[in-house]
Amino acid sequence: MKKWLTILVLIGTFVSAQAEPNPWIEPPLTTERNFPVPRPDVVPEIPAAHGSYPAYAIEWWYWVGHLRAAETDEQFGFQSTVFRRAAGPDAGDAEDTAQCGDDQLFMSHAGLSDLTAGRYTHVERIYRGGWQAHSAEGQLDLAAGPIMAMENGQGGFSMTVSYPDDSRLELTLTPTKPMVSFGDRGLSRKGADPAAVSWYWSYSRKAVRGQLWRNGEATAVEGVAWMDHEISSSQLGSNLAGWDWTAIQLDDGTEVKAYRLRENDGGMDPWSACYWIDEAGEVSYVYADRFEWREIDAWTSDDTGLTYPTSVDIVARHPDTDIIRTYRLRPLLDEQEFRGNRAENPYWEGACEVLDENGDRIGLAYLELAGYGGGLAAQLAQ
Amino acid sequence: MPSFVSSPIWRVAFALLTKSTLRHWGQAKGSYLLIIAIVALGVGSLNGIRQASRAATANFGLFNEAISGRSDFLIEAPAGPIRETQLPGLAPLSRQPDWHLLPVIEGPFTQVSADGEPQRLLRLIGLDLVAVANLPTFIDREFAFGQAESRWNDWVGAAPRVWISSSLAADSGLKVGDSLRGAVGGRMHELEVAGMLGDADNPVPEDLLIADLPAAQAILTRVGEIDRIEAVVNDRAARQSPARMAEIEDRVRALLPEGLVFRAAAERIAERADMTAAFRLNLTILSLIAILVGAYLILQALDTAVVRRRAELATLKSLGVGQRALFLTLMLESLLIGTLGSILGLGVGVLLASGAVHLLADTVNALYFATSVEAIRMSGVDIATGLAVGIGFSLFAGLLPARDAMFTPPAQILSRGDWSPGFVWLRRPWTGLALVGAGLLCLLLPPLPLAGGARLPLGGFLAAGCGIIGAALLSGQTLVWIARACQRVAVGAATKLALSRLADGSSRHRLAVAGLVVAVAMVTGMVQMVGSFRVSIERWFDVRFQAELYVSERTAGGASAVNGIAPEVLQAVTTGPAVTFADTLYISPVGAPSGRTYLGGVDLGAWSGRVAQIWIKDPGALAPAADAQPAFISETFARRFDLMEGGKITLATPTGSRDVTPIGIYADYGNEFGSAVIAAEVWKQWIQADRAINTSLYLQPGTDANVVRDALRLRFPGLEIRNAQELRTLALGIFEQTFRVTSALNGIGLTVAIVGLALGLFSLFAESAGTWATLRRIGFPAKSFALTAGVEGAGIALAAWLSGTFVGLCLGWLLIYVINVQSFGWTLVWHLPVGAFLGLGASLVVFGFLAGALTGAWHRRGLS
Repeated sequence: MKKWLTILVLIGTFVSAQAEPNPWIEPPLTTERNFPVPRPDVVPEIPAAHGSYPAYAIEWWYWVGHLRAAETDEQFGFQSTVFRRAAGPDAGDAEDTAQCGDDQLFMSHAGLSDLTAGRYTHVERIYRGGWQAHSAEGQLDLAAGPIMAMENGQGGFSMTVSYPDDSRLELTLTPTKPMVSFGDRGLSRKGADPAAVSWYWSYSRKAVRGQLWRNGEATAVEGVAWMDHEISSSQLGSNLAGWDWTAIQLDDGTEVKAYRLRENDGGMDPWSACYWIDEAGEVSYVYADRFEWREIDAWTSDDTGLTYPTSVDIVARHPDTDIIRTYRLRPLLDEQEFRGNRAENPYWEGACEVLDENGDRIGLAYLELAGYGGGLAAQLAQ
Repeated sequence: MPSFVSSPIWRVAFALLTKSTLRHWGQAKGSYLLIIAIVALGVGSLNGIRQASRAATANFGLFNEAISGRSDFLIEAPAGPIRETQLPGLAPLSRQPDWHLLPVIEGPFTQVSADGEPQRLLRLIGLDLVAVANLPTFIDREFAFGQAESRWNDWVGAAPRVWISSSLAADSGLKVGDSLRGAVGGRMHELEVAGMLGDADNPVPEDLLIADLPAAQAILTRVGEIDRIEAVVNDRAARQSPARMAEIEDRVRALLPEGLVFRAAAERIAERADMTAAFRLNLTILSLIAILVGAYLILQALDTAVVRRRAELATLKSLGVGQRALFLTLMLESLLIGTLGSILGLGVGVLLASGAVHLLADTVNALYFATSVEAIRMSGVDIATGLAVGIGFSLFAGLLPARDAMFTPPAQILSRGDWSPGFVWLRRPWTGLALVGAGLLCLLLPPLPLAGGARLPLGGFLAAGCGIIGAALLSGQTLVWIARACQRVAVGAATKLALSRLADGSSRHRLAVAGLVVAVAMVTGMVQMVGSFRVSIERWFDVRFQAELYVSERTAGGASAVNGIAPEVLQAVTTGPAVTFADTLYISPVGAPSGRTYLGGVDLGAWSGRVAQIWIKDPGALAPAADAQPAFISETFARRFDLMEGGKITLATPTGSRDVTPIGIYADYGNEFGSAVIAAEVWKQWIQADRAINTSLYLQPGTDANVVRDALRLRFPGLEIRNAQELRTLALGIFEQTFRVTSALNGIGLTVAIVGLALGLFSLFAESAGTWATLRRIGFPAKSFALTAGVEGAGIALAAWLSGTFVGLCLGWLLIYVINVQSFGWTLVWHLPVGAFLGLGASLVVFGFLAGALTGAWHRRGLS
């Protein structure tokens, strides 16, 4: 099951805009399996861009954020992801209204970090399209196991995430910056394969308000969140051992997204990149040759025995200012390992604080460290 | 070791046990091995039936548990299936990660061989093969539906793909990609074997057939239906905490939408257990009777041992060994016999259970619901019960001989006369009369209602027990009367001597008669009940089944293992040119004020006319209640819901509560939970289903039924089509199967009692050793010796047979008119198998004579 996650996250995380325009490769209309391929020059329309594109093979919605309880000053981090995978245009004999459909598969990952109490809760569920999971077209109306998200009619979104032991997060997320579209002519290309493109749209900053329910009692929370939505029909190759990814929300109102694709031989894939999103939502980026991902410290899981480099320094030269910037990510809680149901491919994804080169805190981040359990390349090759 | 064990009396007892008792054991190894074997047989039969019954009925239908793990809660419709359209209402429940919701549909799939013969019944379980991957058990057991999970779309959907158990694959020679041929709903299906599930470490039931939910719905022609939704708590450790489970239950209930009911999975198991409670109780009672007779045998054997050792006991007493030490020694011997016999009996029980489990499972399947057999397992309770029963009965049986040995004065012992204070109560009629009186009073007790709708005729069983034991105690007097009557016509010294001894009516003679009376009464009573049942069913068949052909779904299972005939198949079958009329029956379980019952749909007009019935109350004899649907109801239904004189009852159907009112009562030996039948069209509206359970075809006059049958069989290989004779043979076969266990226990009881008779005779002769020695010295010939002993044995057998038959007739009446009516609600025609009674009597008398003659002859040799 987790291999789907791996594939989907790989696609979602790294199908990003390139720093410099490459020669244009015209994408085909369909993939070999007859899935449609995202077309260029498509301007995402809201709210349709938030809804589902079920004809495409792969799609995911992703939210991470930092919350603070107004009254108790408790701090929390959350990660909520819904993956959708289509069976194929020629597969599926069930009606669209079937309660147990056979053409869409949904997987949900939800993690909640109680940073004050030092407690991490996570849940994974997989369902077919039907009564337990669905995604509407035309607007955000999504439910998959413990995660439910929809438009709230006021330009924002409402999201409810249920956790074990009757805990629940009820949030209203309101974009404070415009949606960003990555890539040349609206297509995010992830390789030389003509079909290796996606639509990749993000809200890099959303204001969050809501309640955290625990033991029947509600705690008011507020904070900031990040949301991604990507649609594609192709998969990555099998030369990757894993990846490290981060979404940084700086106190100055800008954001940084950086990722390191780790190759099987230990090198960093040239498609690794670092993006800056300024206050107006404009995107700048550099590739692997213009930034470094330095491992500073690591944490070893008692449950899986895996070691994750959870403290990193990202050092990058901004393409517009040519100034070298250092972003030091330090975990706000070590135990943020997502083990899922089958524990075949655990990963670490958690809330971090961001320090500058002087050690001063300059923002918050979410950091994802995947593929440290080994065998990711083999799984990708299947 | 407790301190009292080191007291002088215990030391003496242990010394006697090791130096004297065990020496006797060594000298008569055969006898003592026999006694231990008897205890083992008693314990074994009790425990074996317990274990077999549990194994045969343990798996109450949640067959998917091997895959999905044990369910904690069930969500069901009040009656009938859940509609798939109700599932979105459960979405809020489904979002909670503390539990998993698993919709399940299940039905029978009869595997059919290439030549169309049914091979075995498989349980087709439809599950959401995607959602099941979230379940902890599925994950822990590393089940998978395919090598590459990313190819999930290959598994799901309505295409007829199934996963089978590895053991079925091995048995049937099936491999992935092969076709599994079988019948459901009268239609043949070819299912693709998509994979195997389970291995030696994670076994799944052999008869399990897993399919994706839509595929199972399509195969069962039940698209849009779900039998139940199982809820599995995610944190299995929570099951150990009642408070945590109660909290989860409260949360589930709070989110449950209207129109669905919730209950703990254990309740369903309890309900099923209640449904078979009467069945299992019958088995327990029969096995208890077997062990009671066994206890009698132990008593006889120990008594024989005491009598044989009288000289030694007298010597010991003369040497100053105290009464209590002797008593203790004999009780320790009983304890030793009981312990050894019980331990051996535990093993015997497992062997018996292994032999009986499929027999019982077949019976349960035939009568109640589809179940699968679990492995025979001996629990701690089984071991404790076996030891307690074996040792307890051995101590009880040893008590009287030990008291005899304790109180008998040395001079009396050495005289070898009939001096048995321990058995003197056998000469007093009051105990027996009191027990018979108590038994009569017990008849006034009403049946005990069980949760599943079954009723337990407690008063009837108590009356039977009191009556049998009371009569057994009184039966010694019969022996005396018979002997005195025969003395007047007796010729020859040997015969007169024998009759004289019998007329004296010693305690041991009475004990021998009493033991045999219990066995004869039990056998006679049960033979009557089984015979009466059979005659009643045959009569019912003769009247009720007058159609030429009977069509049902082809299934290897019993009453509940049916899915129903697909409507288009039914239409095709019933509209053939040779068919003049089809009596089609639709049936569904529905909720009743107490437990569940059945609601059928028929052509009421035809049932009042051409479809013959045995009417307990003719159509129209009962005035219908207003605002209720007219119905014919079975006698069981009428008795169960107190509708013998009419009235109204509310039944829970898939479309809500519905009232029915009886307009006639018919005999139906088909199910013990009762049924009401209404007009078929109304039934379809109420139940929201259209699959008939069977149809009876009335053909054009002059039509050869077998020709039509063969043509239909060719056209519809998924249907079972029988002529009247074939149906009758099948039904009687099920009937015979049902009573096979009863017959086996009858045999055990009778065998034990006859062995007891032989032992009793041996004890009698040992006690009279002085008399026999004198006779031998004065020239009493060996032939006369044998004749005397033979007549004595025959006399005991005759008295036991006469008394036992009388008690057995009373027991038969009780079984037919009280226990059956209270248990099952149906009236049987009392049938007396006179020939069988006489045969049993003759056999017993002959056996008694032979046993006596042989024992006497053997004893005479011992005298020399």
